[in-house]
Amino acid sequence: MTVFLIYKAILCVLIFAVSLGVAAYATWWERKFAALLQDRKGPNRAGPLGLFQPLADGGKMFMKEEIIPNVSNKFLFILGPSLFLFLSFLTGVLIPWGKDFTYDGHALALQLTDINVGLLYILGVTSIAVYGIIIGGWASNNKYSLLGAVRASSQMISYEIAMGISIIALVITAGGTLSFREILDTQDAGLANICYQPLGFLIFFICALAETNRAPFDLAECETELVGGYHTEYSAFKLGAFMFGEYINMFVSSAIMAGLYFGGYNFPFAKEFYHMIGLEDGSAWISLIGAGVYLIKTFIFISVFMWIRWTLPRFRYDQLMNLGWRVLIPLSLLNLAITVLVEIFIRGTIQL
Amino acid sequence: MKGLFIISGLGILAMLAEIFKFKKILYPLVLVGILAAYAMTFVDWNPPTDHLSRLDELTASFSNMIRFDQVALAFSGVILVTAFFWFILASHYFENETNITDHFALVLFALVGALMLTSFSNMTTLFLGVEILSIPMYVLAASRKKDIASNEAGFKYLIMGSFASGFLLFGIALVYGATGTFDLGGISHYISNSHGDVPAFFYAGVIMMLIALCFKVSAAPFHFWAPDVYEGSPTVITALMSTVVKTAAFAALMRLFNVGFHHIGDVWGQIMAVVIGLSLVISNITAASQQSVKRMLAYSSISHAAFMLMGVLANKNGFDSISSILYYSLAYSVGSIASFTVLYNVSKDNNGHIEAFNGLSKRNPFLAVCMVVALLSLAGIPVTAGFFAKYFIFTTLIGTPYKWLLGVAVVTSAIGAYYYFKVLIAMYFKPAISTEPVKVEMSHTVLLIITTLFTLAIGIVPGYIIGIFK
Amino acid sequence: MLGYTITQWLFGILSFLAIMFALMVVFTRNPINSVLYLVLTFFCIAGHYLLLNAQFLAVVHIVVYAGAIMVLFLFVIMLMNLNQDTEPQKTVISKVVAAIAGGLLLFVMVGALRGSEQLQIKQYGHSDIGLVKNLGNVLFHDFLFPFEIASVLLLAAMVGAIMIGKKEIK
Repeated sequence: MTVFLIYKAILCVLIFAVSLGVAAYATWWERKFAALLQDRKGPNRAGPLGLFQPLADGGKMFMKEEIIPNVSNKFLFILGPSLFLFLSFLTGVLIPWGKDFTYDGHALALQLTDINVGLLYILGVTSIAVYGIIIGGWASNNKYSLLGAVRASSQMISYEIAMGISIIALVITAGGTLSFREILDTQDAGLANICYQPLGFLIFFICALAETNRAPFDLAECETELVGGYHTEYSAFKLGAFMFGEYINMFVSSAIMAGLYFGGYNFPFAKEFYHMIGLEDGSAWISLIGAGVYLIKTFIFISVFMWIRWTLPRFRYDQLMNLGWRVLIPLSLLNLAITVLVEIFIRGTIQL
Repeated sequence: MKGLFIISGLGILAMLAEIFKFKKILYPLVLVGILAAYAMTFVDWNPPTDHLSRLDELTASFSNMIRFDQVALAFSGVILVTAFFWFILASHYFENETNITDHFALVLFALVGALMLTSFSNMTTLFLGVEILSIPMYVLAASRKKDIASNEAGFKYLIMGSFASGFLLFGIALVYGATGTFDLGGISHYISNSHGDVPAFFYAGVIMMLIALCFKVSAAPFHFWAPDVYEGSPTVITALMSTVVKTAAFAALMRLFNVGFHHIGDVWGQIMAVVIGLSLVISNITAASQQSVKRMLAYSSISHAAFMLMGVLANKNGFDSISSILYYSLAYSVGSIASFTVLYNVSKDNNGHIEAFNGLSKRNPFLAVCMVVALLSLAGIPVTAGFFAKYFIFTTLIGTPYKWLLGVAVVTSAIGAYYYFKVLIAMYFKPAISTEPVKVEMSHTVLLIITTLFTLAIGIVPGYIIGIFK
Repeated sequence: MLGYTITQWLFGILSFLAIMFALMVVFTRNPINSVLYLVLTFFCIAGHYLLLNAQFLAVVHIVVYAGAIMVLFLFVIMLMNLNQDTEPQKTVISKVVAAIAGGLLLFVMVGALRGSEQLQIKQYGHSDIGLVKNLGNVLFHDFLFPFEIASVLLLAAMVGAIMIGKKEIK
């Protein structure tokens, strides 16, 4: 029991630290990537390759003046960004980073907790995440903030539906489990889910872009129309919390996509590879290699997010809503129908 | 069961009509569909005992959530006949509206809810039935978007109705807490097995459900929404509310209290007796002072609710009270449809003020005669169906401890006759405002002839309806 | 701890919080705060579902109520810009009447539920009924008809909302 508790505590801190670190360096990578695409150098003064740039940015955020508008509801004004940051961490607890390993006779999982309604939990947390934005935007007592908040939250609610339906299709493919862990395990034995759910993945990916308020769906903070969107009135670390939360969201949703559709810590010929270098089942190295593979996949997704941001122009609001309600939802329903038919008539996993 | 499926399918078909552009044939299609559903009640009446069809197996596999027994089929029949009449009455309404397919769909969905209420045998289906019936009605009440009275009606109906639904749910939860089952038979079984050793909150639950359903049938003191909603809604929708919705709600009340809570009749009986007494007094006295015929019909519907509640209150074993409620609801529905048809034709623009009826006997004698028959039936004057309806209800009360209600009922009926006669006097003895004759559509003429003859016919030979279960 | 199990402690705390937040919903003047307290109440109720081993219901409760419905509430209230100044003052008599009616209901409920703690608690169904698989089985076998007919209810509500909300095209 004690081993278990200590291990979970360490893992907790580790995942927290990794999320923060990845989020911080995602800002650096974002700027570098943008520079790459725009044929310039990007940040290169603070440290080698500008690697200390996130630290400098963080320090700047801390040191700036805290401004709380006089007319706003102070408690809610502070609650908004805090909630946003807090909720962005919450999804991370579910992600299994590697296979179980044994230490001193205890089987330990590289995952904080596995709940049997894991996928629903993810949907639940994303649906709650709206509150951070909407509370912050309203408490600012600024029309631009409010409009930004309303845009962001209506966008998140709209795209959550298509996301949920594509997850249902995925669950059917994965043999009817809602546990993140078990979905990863089914991909260990067979093909990655992307092979069965290409359309579902596409829908999920677009929805993930919208859920994280990333370009081309970043209308909530559309400068030309809304100044800074829901965080117009925010400064210093509260603004930092919003931005940090956004990057953590991006990290977590990349990890979810890499896990649900691309096998997570599994990779082709993994068993043969482990066998070849002489690792036994339950070795901590296997978990570590798996985690490394998972992180690489996640990193690729983060890069794709950035690539899209610096390539595609922003949607107009009505286009966004049309895409969500008139294209993605019917498409995801179609995907669900196709999935069920395939499962019944081709793969035969569902008996009538 | 088959009828329920037909009506549900028809509702969805109505929505498809907009997309696939067969709006023109939708109206006859709906009429045919309702007749088909009505025919199905005869098909299901005597179920084949030797072999089960595929559909019957399916019905059995619904784990006793819904049961179309003969009582349910009889009330479904009343509802479907009334609905058919109503669709004829509303033909003009459907032509004028911009989104007719939505209107069709909503009315048909409300019918689905009504049919569920006649046949539920589980609390979940009861609740769903109430909601499926109510939600389209909220919308239809508010369907005249530019009219502030219609908006008010819809809004009031929505708020009050949701409040009542809350009570219903709370009551269901308490009853479930005590009995551990949603099943009507199971609840009845629990009561008879417990020999009075029932937790107190069970009774609280029963009373809450009673309150909620009294709300839905607009019995006093839960009637305050009814006059405003009836007056504000478009006239045809008011007709739908006071016929189909009312019959369905009574079928539900009867099924719930005379089947589920049959054994504790003396617990809810006293409260229901007070509700009935209050409804009779309040509705009849208030109705007498109304200037709008529509509003008057709203109050009269409250008093008819009280009469039908008496049948529930009698809580008799066997089919006595059931057949009397069935007869009453049929007589009342047909009479209401007839009077609303006349009202619709007479007062297209002034929302049913009584002056519109002045001198109707000169302007259109046919309408006047039909109105006379309908009003006499509603008032309960002999030879019409309404008389026998009241008579049968009264006889069920004999032998119960609530005989005093008969006295109240007779006195208030006499007051009630006064306001029905007010309309008669206006039609025959007051000078007309204009001499221009009132034009009536062909379909409405046919409808009025049918309903008037029907009212007289079941008044002359009531035995066919009363003896239906024997 | 004091003779109670952890579950009982959790139940007590959650119930206390739920009731407190529910009271705050009513007593707060600012409608936005009311809605936020309501969200907290929903979380407490989701906690109760978890205690009953109904994880699916707990999560769905949060997704549907806190995540979707209350956000729409918040939208409407925010865009209408309701403040305590715009709330119409109620007359004293209506407040008194409301207090009496509510008090009577409370009185009846307390009276009805008093003594029920001595009742034998029967276990209806099995304790894992709230898990996804069992719930699915119950939903698609016993409650198949209500489950399917609920779609008619939702359809009707949807059609109605659109009919009321749609602009009249001339």
